[in-house]
Amino acid sequence: MSILKKNSSSTTNIGFNPSVSYLAFAVGVIIVILLPLIFTSRYTVNLIILASAVGISTLGLTVLLGYTGLVSLGHAVFYGIGAYGIALGTTRWGLNWWIALILSMAFVALIGLILGITTLKVSGHYLAVVTICVQIIFTLIATNWKAVTGGPDGISGIHRPEFIVSLSTSRNFEWFCLAVLLVAVTFVWNLKDRPLGRAMRAVRENELAAQVLGVDTLKIKVVAFILSAVFGGLGGAIYASGSLYISPDAFTFDQSVQFLAMCLTGGTESAIGSMLGAWLLYFLPEWLRQLKNIYLVVYGCIIIFVIVFIPEGLWGFVNLLYRKLAKPRPIPVSKQPLSLDIPETDIVLQVENLGKYFGGLKALDGVDFIVKRGEVHALIGPNGSGKSTLINVVSGVYSPTFGNVKFLGKEVTGMRPCAVAQMGLSRTFQNLRLFNTLTVYENVLVASQRSGGSIEEVHERAIAAIEFVGLREKVHEQCKNLPYGHQKLVELARALAGRPKLLLLDEPAAGLNQTEKQDLVELLKKLNAMGLTMVLIEHDMSLVAQISNQATVLNFGKKISEGTMEHVLQDPVVVEAYIGKKEVALGA
Amino acid sequence: MSTLSLIGQILFAGLAIGGVYTLVALGIVLIYRATNVVNFAQGDFTMLGAYVLFALSNGEKINFFVAFLLALVVMAVLGLLFELGVYYPLRNRSFLPVVIATIGASIMFQNGALAIFGPMPQKVRPVIYASGNGGITLGGVFFDYQYIVILVVTLALVLLQYLFFEYTVLGKKMQATSQDKDMARMLGIPVSIMIALTYIYSTVIGGLSGMLVAPIFFVTHKMGVMLGLKAFAATICGGFGDVRGAILGGLALGVIESFGAAFISTVYKDAFSLLLLLLFLLIRPQGIFGEKVAEKA
Amino acid sequence: MLKLDNVHAAYDSVVVLRGVSLQVNQGEIVCLLGANGAGKTTTLRLISGLIHPLQGKVCLEDKPIHHLSPEAIARLGVAHVPEGRRIFPGLTVRENLILGASNRRRVNKVELTSDIKKMFEIFPDLEKLQNALGWTLSGGQQQMLAIARSLMAHPKILLMDEPSLGLGPIVVQQVFSVIKQINETMGTTVLVVEQNAVIALSVASRGYVIENGRIVLEGKASDLLNNTEVREAYLGGRRTCI
Repeated sequence: MSILKKNSSSTTNIGFNPSVSYLAFAVGVIIVILLPLIFTSRYTVNLIILASAVGISTLGLTVLLGYTGLVSLGHAVFYGIGAYGIALGTTRWGLNWWIALILSMAFVALIGLILGITTLKVSGHYLAVVTICVQIIFTLIATNWKAVTGGPDGISGIHRPEFIVSLSTSRNFEWFCLAVLLVAVTFVWNLKDRPLGRAMRAVRENELAAQVLGVDTLKIKVVAFILSAVFGGLGGAIYASGSLYISPDAFTFDQSVQFLAMCLTGGTESAIGSMLGAWLLYFLPEWLRQLKNIYLVVYGCIIIFVIVFIPEGLWGFVNLLYRKLAKPRPIPVSKQPLSLDIPETDIVLQVENLGKYFGGLKALDGVDFIVKRGEVHALIGPNGSGKSTLINVVSGVYSPTFGNVKFLGKEVTGMRPCAVAQMGLSRTFQNLRLFNTLTVYENVLVASQRSGGSIEEVHERAIAAIEFVGLREKVHEQCKNLPYGHQKLVELARALAGRPKLLLLDEPAAGLNQTEKQDLVELLKKLNAMGLTMVLIEHDMSLVAQISNQATVLNFGKKISEGTMEHVLQDPVVVEAYIGKKEVALGA
Repeated sequence: MSTLSLIGQILFAGLAIGGVYTLVALGIVLIYRATNVVNFAQGDFTMLGAYVLFALSNGEKINFFVAFLLALVVMAVLGLLFELGVYYPLRNRSFLPVVIATIGASIMFQNGALAIFGPMPQKVRPVIYASGNGGITLGGVFFDYQYIVILVVTLALVLLQYLFFEYTVLGKKMQATSQDKDMARMLGIPVSIMIALTYIYSTVIGGLSGMLVAPIFFVTHKMGVMLGLKAFAATICGGFGDVRGAILGGLALGVIESFGAAFISTVYKDAFSLLLLLLFLLIRPQGIFGEKVAEKA
Repeated sequence: MLKLDNVHAAYDSVVVLRGVSLQVNQGEIVCLLGANGAGKTTTLRLISGLIHPLQGKVCLEDKPIHHLSPEAIARLGVAHVPEGRRIFPGLTVRENLILGASNRRRVNKVELTSDIKKMFEIFPDLEKLQNALGWTLSGGQQQMLAIARSLMAHPKILLMDEPSLGLGPIVVQQVFSVIKQINETMGTTVLVVEQNAVIALSVASRGYVIENGRIVLEGKASDLLNNTEVREAYLGGRRTCI
């Protein structure tokens, strides 16, 4: 679930042209070279070193919160572990700086892994509270475990690394820090449009949809935690070497809040934004110094102000400006039309005695159901009869109370949705579940990257699917800005891009007008002609009759009829159950 | 001192501190239930209550009990301002911005208090000013008057709150608001007033708990941080949003902490409740009373 | 009584209603038919003040109400039985009923008790359940309670959103016979939104068909029932309404 929903920018996902990205990188390089030449006082040199440390660390939150949508109020723990790692490594244990760095990164990654795995089940404010607890416990340990951490006195005499030349002078070290920062920003910036970054953002926008598209959401979340930990730790390591002395006060809950505030002020979803936010809030105290006494009061006010009035952060402005000035991105063209995989088995889906109870409610109560290759199998029945539940169990979203499901001859009962999707099962949802702030292209890419292949192949498949549903002109638009009918088509394109062997459609025509419905019918007929097997839940019988050759009727979780459409609609049981017998109609 | 009376002593102190956690936790639960907001500034309301009482009663220009009542009024006003300034502008936003805003408010409160009252810890007099050691000894266990006051006030408030929500139409309207805001509005229940009342009440009991612990702990601008976190621990262990859970969780936490400090380690006293909380979150995130809600696809 | 005039509305930035005009006269039952996502629910939410129109007017007894809050509209006598019933799950049946009268000024205990008694006469099932918590009720019982709760408001007009949703066919018939009964005995005006066209048209005097945010068809219930387009789209082409 997206926790940023309304906070998410309407603009941040409009990607930049590659040429602009190169330009931005060149500007970054120039800044890195010039900054130390312009500001030469010892004081500013130190400030820039520490601001770089804070900036690198904040990038960890960009990945965790901005991309993946997981909130952490304990980011200073990673920062602290990195710092203590370098401090202990270079002083107490006399290690080479680089070896100390590698060891601390490995350790901090391990902590990230543990935290990620243990918190998989919790999200939202629970995650916030867990991370606060971890933070407080870390502070307690850092303060009280004197033998290792030096207690409140901290550790001094921390070393700086050698890299070609000695970096022990502040000037040299400053260049080093800025270079690391530049590399880190570039890495996080590029991550966003890589398969991993896209999967993270899909998890943030709609975890369930990501799962059924084949994204291993649990793995993605753990990876996000590890990356966040590594960036946090790297920032901490640089901080320790920069200030030459550390104590527990630098890694308290307040620091965690600061990281979060920096990320939010800059714009959570942008690496450059977060970095700008970090620098702005880092230098703010310098500018507000005359307020000394009430500085933090003002700081608190600023946080509330930013949250209320600029929910998209500073980067929101930059992006808005860019969108006004930039030329539209080129629309990709597919080289070959959509191709589909045909399953080898005759029976594509076999459901045996399937049951799903929710407490006392028997949503499914022993249903048998077979879909053969090449069928368009309609699943009909009144609202609440168990149709959607059946699809949810088959696609792994619910685990059944009893019974089993075989897909392509293999047992898939109780398998995770992403695993079933990997085998070639695609589905759509009754209520749209799009990645709203992602573009049409990105939505479909999340699905097409599941079946692997080179980057070109992934893109090729995505654009072919988009062209197939006729949305080529809209590829770079954010889904939430599309009309309802188009959004439905994006969901279809997304389902097609993952090379499905079976497609489950949950009310694909709901809410469409007659023209749109007719277009959909044509698309589905075409897909069937290409050999795609489909299961179709739909209320509009005239639509169903046009494309389905087989039907199963459910009522109160039980199958009451099956066979050809003709047969089913005339079955007296079906008529009895809910066909509007005119005489029951009251008063008319 | 016999082992039994030692245990009695620890138990009593634990229950009293647990009573304070309960009061803070009740505030968190009420706000959460009414508005789905996790208020990270709730702990700071205790700190503000303690400081307001200190400011009003310092120098004894006003009768202590008058000052006590006045402080409660001040807290009510603060609660309303908090609602209007932090909750209201963000009422339609998702949870994260609101959480951050309450943290922003928390930073503001703490540092505002620091700017006004300085870093020196302050002392507030207990409610019952008795000569001697300020308590009675029964069966080898020393009962501090202030601890007794805390327990009595906690019990009374819990009871009052129960009666209010169970037996008054206003209470029912507040419950309806917390269960389904839009439906409540469609029935003509003035939801924004209900929410304002919830914030005011939560701030007042938060402040009250601060005024009650002030004589036990020193009053500092950071005193609310740990109190707030432990109250969170209590609410989560009890099942977020459940009043019974908050009460049981608060008292249990106080007792566990008290025994932990006595028999294991005083330094890591604060860690016990947090570890307990982590354990709960990872093993039974729905808490003692919470029910698992099936996800809807 | 109730009049919508060229109403446009949107959620976030997605336009849902594109010029809806409809009218409900005193004492009528009017139904609004349409598929999922056509804008039926939005129309009701708009009348109730939960969302405000981008343009166009909503008038109750010739006074514009589209700028008012839901609370204010409820006080004017518009009662809404929303999709999914929205019973307060943690309150008892009796408490749910009491809260139904929240829109009325100065209601004394005696009046309230006698109103609740009247509800128990119309919905005898609820009397036995009066101390049961809302969430323990079955779908049909919840629907009955939701209707009873809305009647506690002494509404001038009752808005009902898909009362048949998720209910078995027999319960659906009971619900609609209650709607008919309320309309006949109490004179309450009703606007009912439905996908189940047959049953809705059987109690309604007039109907509208909404598609993609626009009213595409309107007329007498009997005419709509025999209209081929309606039959195609909402009655399943045959005499079915699966």
